[in-house]
Formats: sequence, structure tokens, C-alpha cells
Amino acid sequence: MKWEVRCRETWLHETNPSLKLIVLVVLFFAVLFIHNPNVLINVSLALFVLFCFGTGYPANVLFWLFLPFFLVFVSTASSMMMFGEGTTTWVRWGLIHITAESFWRGVHIGFRALALGLLGLIFSLTTRPVPLFYSLMQQLKLKPKYAYSFLAAVRLLPIMLEEFQTIRYALTVRGVPNKGGLSKVKRYAIPLLSQSIRRAQRIAVAMEAKQFSGSGGRTFYYEIGFGKYDIWLVALFAALMFAAYYVGVHYPYISISDVR
Amino acid sequence: MKQAIAIDRLRLKFPGSDGLLFRDLSLSIAEGEKVLLLGPSGCGKSTLLQVMAGIIPHSIDVPMKAERLERPKRWGYVFQDPDAQFCMPYADEEIAFALENRSVPRHEMPVRIRALLDQVGLEIAPHTDIHTLSGGMKQRLALASVLALEPDILFLDEPTALLDEEGTKAVWQTVKQVGRGKTVVIVEHKIDHVLDFVDRIVLFGRDGRIVADGEAKAVFSDYKDVIAAEGIWYPGVWDDYDRTARRRKHHKGEKLLRLARFRGFRGREAKIYVPEATVHAGEWIAVTGKNGAGKSTLLHALMQLIRTDGEYMLLGADIKRQHPLYRHIAFVFQNPEWQFVTHSVREELAYSLRLEGRPEAEIEETITRLLREFDLVEQQDQHPYQLSVGQKRRLSVAASIVAGQRLFLLDEPTFGQDAKNTFALLEMLEAHREQGAAIMMVTHDEQIVRRFATRRWVIEDGALVRDEQLDIREPVLAEGGAGR
Repeated sequence: MKWEVRCRETWLHETNPSLKLIVLVVLFFAVLFIHNPNVLINVSLALFVLFCFGTGYPANVLFWLFLPFFLVFVSTASSMMMFGEGTTTWVRWGLIHITAESFWRGVHIGFRALALGLLGLIFSLTTRPVPLFYSLMQQLKLKPKYAYSFLAAVRLLPIMLEEFQTIRYALTVRGVPNKGGLSKVKRYAIPLLSQSIRRAQRIAVAMEAKQFSGSGGRTFYYEIGFGKYDIWLVALFAALMFAAYYVGVHYPYISISDVR
Repeated sequence: MKQAIAIDRLRLKFPGSDGLLFRDLSLSIAEGEKVLLLGPSGCGKSTLLQVMAGIIPHSIDVPMKAERLERPKRWGYVFQDPDAQFCMPYADEEIAFALENRSVPRHEMPVRIRALLDQVGLEIAPHTDIHTLSGGMKQRLALASVLALEPDILFLDEPTALLDEEGTKAVWQTVKQVGRGKTVVIVEHKIDHVLDFVDRIVLFGRDGRIVADGEAKAVFSDYKDVIAAEGIWYPGVWDDYDRTARRRKHHKGEKLLRLARFRGFRGREAKIYVPEATVHAGEWIAVTGKNGAGKSTLLHALMQLIRTDGEYMLLGADIKRQHPLYRHIAFVFQNPEWQFVTHSVREELAYSLRLEGRPEAEIEETITRLLREFDLVEQQDQHPYQLSVGQKRRLSVAASIVAGQRLFLLDEPTFGQDAKNTFALLEMLEAHREQGAAIMMVTHDEQIVRRFATRRWVIEDGALVRDEQLDIREPVLAEGGAGR
């Protein structure tokens, strides 16, 4: 089954995965502490541009990946707008009560959710599991035991996906009605899990049979170091945050500078 | 001669089982020896192999003790399941994993990886996705990554049990080359390709005791009856089968299925094309072709699991009007476990009948008949997952055909089965064919095609390219001296 989407490798793929992880985690917390909606809108826009042009995926793939995050944006923003508290009433209709404060707070929270989602997307779209775990072992001293276990699990996913498809066929063939919440979950989960657990156990034994000890010295097939793109990465995100802040404060779209 | 492995008075017991698996078992293997461990399934051959390697108790904790246990320091172990021995996504990374474990310097790795791939005859780019390899190639990759450990001794635990004929041949050819000068201990059920390679056979009985131990050819000829009774695939097994097989009846019945310009789609792409074909009752069609040619896709298309277009008539009516299809067509998948939907063998057989709302008395009667026909009477209250490999397969076929369908679609049903189970299954299918069912079966096994099929469809690059009637080969009687 085709499940992997081919993409063009961009400079973001070339950066050190551990560094990228740290930078994006720092940004993650930074976004949580931005209270000026103007700044946050700028950050989100900048991340969106990076998501569109920096990840190397075709537009249709990006669209489908972005869609759920956009829905999260709409739902968080709208619920905050309609049910939040505030004093300057714009609309009141039954339970729905939109005020100026709740409106802007809703916009703000929506953009925050969007920015966090985009950070996650940018990271996962430009990081392959193998370099990530090699880098985590080399730069952040993650124990090989955990790194290789994760990699083995990643390998199981496409196999599980294929099995899921086959089980669906098999149940159709037996005439199993395609309904019934819990029993349906059980029908899929039991064969899938029983296969996966057995396979995971066998892989673990096979790994130990190849003299994998989980600790102690080892060499690495991939040496993950740092390069010029890592400087770009740090510089770009620093510039991006600064620009977003500067533009947001000096050329605001709206007159509110703190939604709290 | 120096000993590679020495075991003295080994006792071992699996938690939860009643008796000891091994009671005072002693066995030693000399350096450079090629040994085959044979015996019925469940006799503990694989367990013994794991004890010899130290996987038990190092990785799998099983209570055991032995008076003396000498094990090799450098060993390699190839397992049965090609999908359950790799932890990395790409071939080069998988071999590198073994090299890393031994702290081989990084700059030496690419050269060694290439050399190891060449050694096992894998002509692939090192950075190839393991998921795209065939079973036989995966097993040779497993061998390559094991050779990266530079072992003195190789343990092979039914490495070809889940492979087709072509893969099996390639794996054994490779083992013969790389095994030169090494000690090799093999557990295997399909011994056609192994027999001329090993110089010693250790034959186990059902109770885990050693029945025979000696020079390969001698053990094989002296204990052939025991070996045959255990369902082991040995050279000439089909000839022996022919001597016992009964004469087959052939008659072509009414038209069951008609296809014209028939296509099956995966996504937007047409993956299988049948220009024109008609299938009659009483036919046994072997669907053959290379891996990935589209054989399974053809069956999926016929079962309407994927989107199709063109003409498809079943029992004289358009396929769209034959809903639900499972009343007319029985489908059997490669892995029986996927098809089980209930918690006992009995329920499993009753499932389709209940779905159709047949009277309880009739259901009871059908189940009792099928339990007997498929030799599952003793297991009727067990959970399907607790059955043996052969029993699972029989149950999945029995449960699929219970509703009296006229057309059977089977995707390599004899895959991974021992000789005894294969013969039993083929004969059950044959009985149904004689009663007027049509069988369409994907298979790689020429022996089956030659003996059972009345017709062969060859699939190439997603199309039916050849449709030939086969001469019906009557079983050769004892004096006939059947050749292979």
C-alpha cells in the first residue's frame, strides 16, 4: 500500500534534529506567553509561510494536513468568542453572548492553537525518524535502548496499516455488518494487537540476538553533526520572532495590546 | 574434534505447562558440523536452538538447568518471520545496526555493508526500503546482518517456513555458500533443499526425547516413515502422496462466472485487467505469476473488495445484483487469524449461517458435519487463536465455505503449512470441486498446479496474459514410478 508521501528535501531537513527540536520547543513556550494578539498573528503568519514553502511537500498534501488545524482554530476561536466573558456587548442571543473582549480573546486563542499546530507540523514534516533518534543519541545522550525501540516501533506502523486493510477485507468477506461501535473496535483491535505484540516480542529477541545490549559503547552509522543550516535555523527563528514582535507593537492591526 | 556446543542433562519447563519439555537431554555438536534438528511441531526443537544460542535464558526467561552447558561465543540466529527481525527501515541501516553493536568504526561500514550484501547475493542498492523486498530477500538480508557479527556458528530457525518456493531455494543456496567452514544448526520442516547440505540429523519424538541421531542419509532412510508421519516436506513426498491418492472425477458443469474487459482498481490506477474469461463449475483454476504481478488483486477484484468496471456476471446475473456476495463466493485469506470473528471454533462455523437466519437445527447439523470433515471435533470449544497453524487454516476454510458457496477464492491457502496439512486441505477442496464448486487459487507450488488444477491463469504486470487448460494428470499408481 502507498502510504508514504514523497517530498522534496529542503534545507530544514538538513538541520540538526536535536537543535530543531530544542528551537521549536523554546518557540512553543514563547507562543504560550505572547499576550499581544498583533504579535501572535504575525508569528502565525510567518510560521504559515514557512510551512507552505519550507517543508517541501506538494500543495495538496499541505492542504489536507493543514485542514484539521484550521478547524481547531475555528472551533477554539468561536467557542471563546461566543461564551467568553466581557463587558462591551456586541451580540446577545440566548446563550450566545459576544463581547469585544471575548471576541479578541477568541481570535487570540485561535491563533495560539494555530501557531502551536504549525510548529508541530513543521517539525514532523521535516524530520525523518532515523536521523532524529541518531541525533538524540549523539547530542542529547538518549539511551540506545529507547532510541532503537522507537525506531523498531516506527517500522511496525506501515505493517499494521496494511494489516488493518486486510482485516477490513476479511470482515467484509465474512459478511460482518459494518456497524456496532465497541464490538467493531474489538474486531479490529484484537487481531491487530495480537499480531503486533507477538511481532514486537520477536523483534526484541532478534535485536538482542544481534548483540544489542541497550547500553555500553557503540559506533554510529550516521554521524549527525551541525552545519551552516543550523546557524540559518537559529538566525531565522530569532529574526522571525523579533520581526513579529516589532511589527506587532509598532504597526498593530488592532488596538488591543494585551488580551488578558 | 573440538566441540562447538555441549549440553549435558538439560531440564527445561515452560511456566504453565504440565510436564518438562526436556528431561535430561544431552547433545553435543562438533565444530564445523552441519546439523538438522527434525521433529513434530511442539517437540521443542526451536526451544533447544534458543538454549544453544543463549537466547534462553538471556532474552527469554524460561526456567532451565543443565549439568554442563557450553555455548559458542560468536553466533548468529536467523528467525522464521521475515517481518519480525528488523528494527530499522532500510537495508543498509539494518546491517549497520549489527556493526554498531560490535563497535565497528564508522568509516569501515559502507564497504562492509556492500560486501555482506554481495555475500548473500542481494543485488540491491544498500539504501533500499526493507518493506519493498520479497520474503526471500528479507531472509537473505537477515542472514547478511547476522554475518556482520562474524559468527562461528549459525542457528537457523525455520528460515523458509513463510517463503515461497523461489525464496526458499535462494535462501538455502545462500546458506550453503556462507555456511562453508562454519558450524550450522538448522530447524526446518521443508527439508528438500537442506538434505544434501547437512551431514547429521537429530530426530526428536513428540515427548522431546531424541529418537535418532546420526549421519543424515542414514537417519533419513531408516526413519522415513516417522518423518512422513510428522508432515515434514521431504524429497519425494509428492510421489509418495500420488501412491495413496485416489482417482479424480472430472466433469465441467454450468457456467458460473463470466468476465469481459474486466478491470480492478486500487486508488485511481487499474491494477488488474482480464480481457475475457469464463469459469464453469467443477473447474480448479491455479492463478500463477511472479510476486506483485497482481494475483491477489485479481481475487480482491472478483470479491468486489476493490472498485471494478467492465463486465462481470456471476450465476447468470450482473455482479451488482448478487448482493451480498459472500453467499455466492467464499474467500480465504493468507493469514487465517484475520478472518476469525468469534470466540470458539463452533461459533466460528455457525457465524455465516446465523447471519443468514437459518434454522438452529440445520445449523447444528452443518456444524457437526463440518467439524468431522475438517477434523476439528476435539477443538470445537477452543478459541480460534489457540489452535495450531494447520487447525487454524482448516477452520478458516471451513468457516468460509459453510454457506454452500459455488465459487472459492483462495489466496495461497497452503502457505506455511506442513505436508500433512497441505494434503488434507487440498483433498477437502477437491471433494467440494467434485460436488460442483469452482476453485480459483493463487499458488506458487507447481506440484499442486500439476496435480490438482484443471486450468492455469498466468498473471503478468497486472493482466491475465495466458489461460490454458491443463491435462488432467491421473495419480500414478505405485508401479508407475512417478518422476518429479
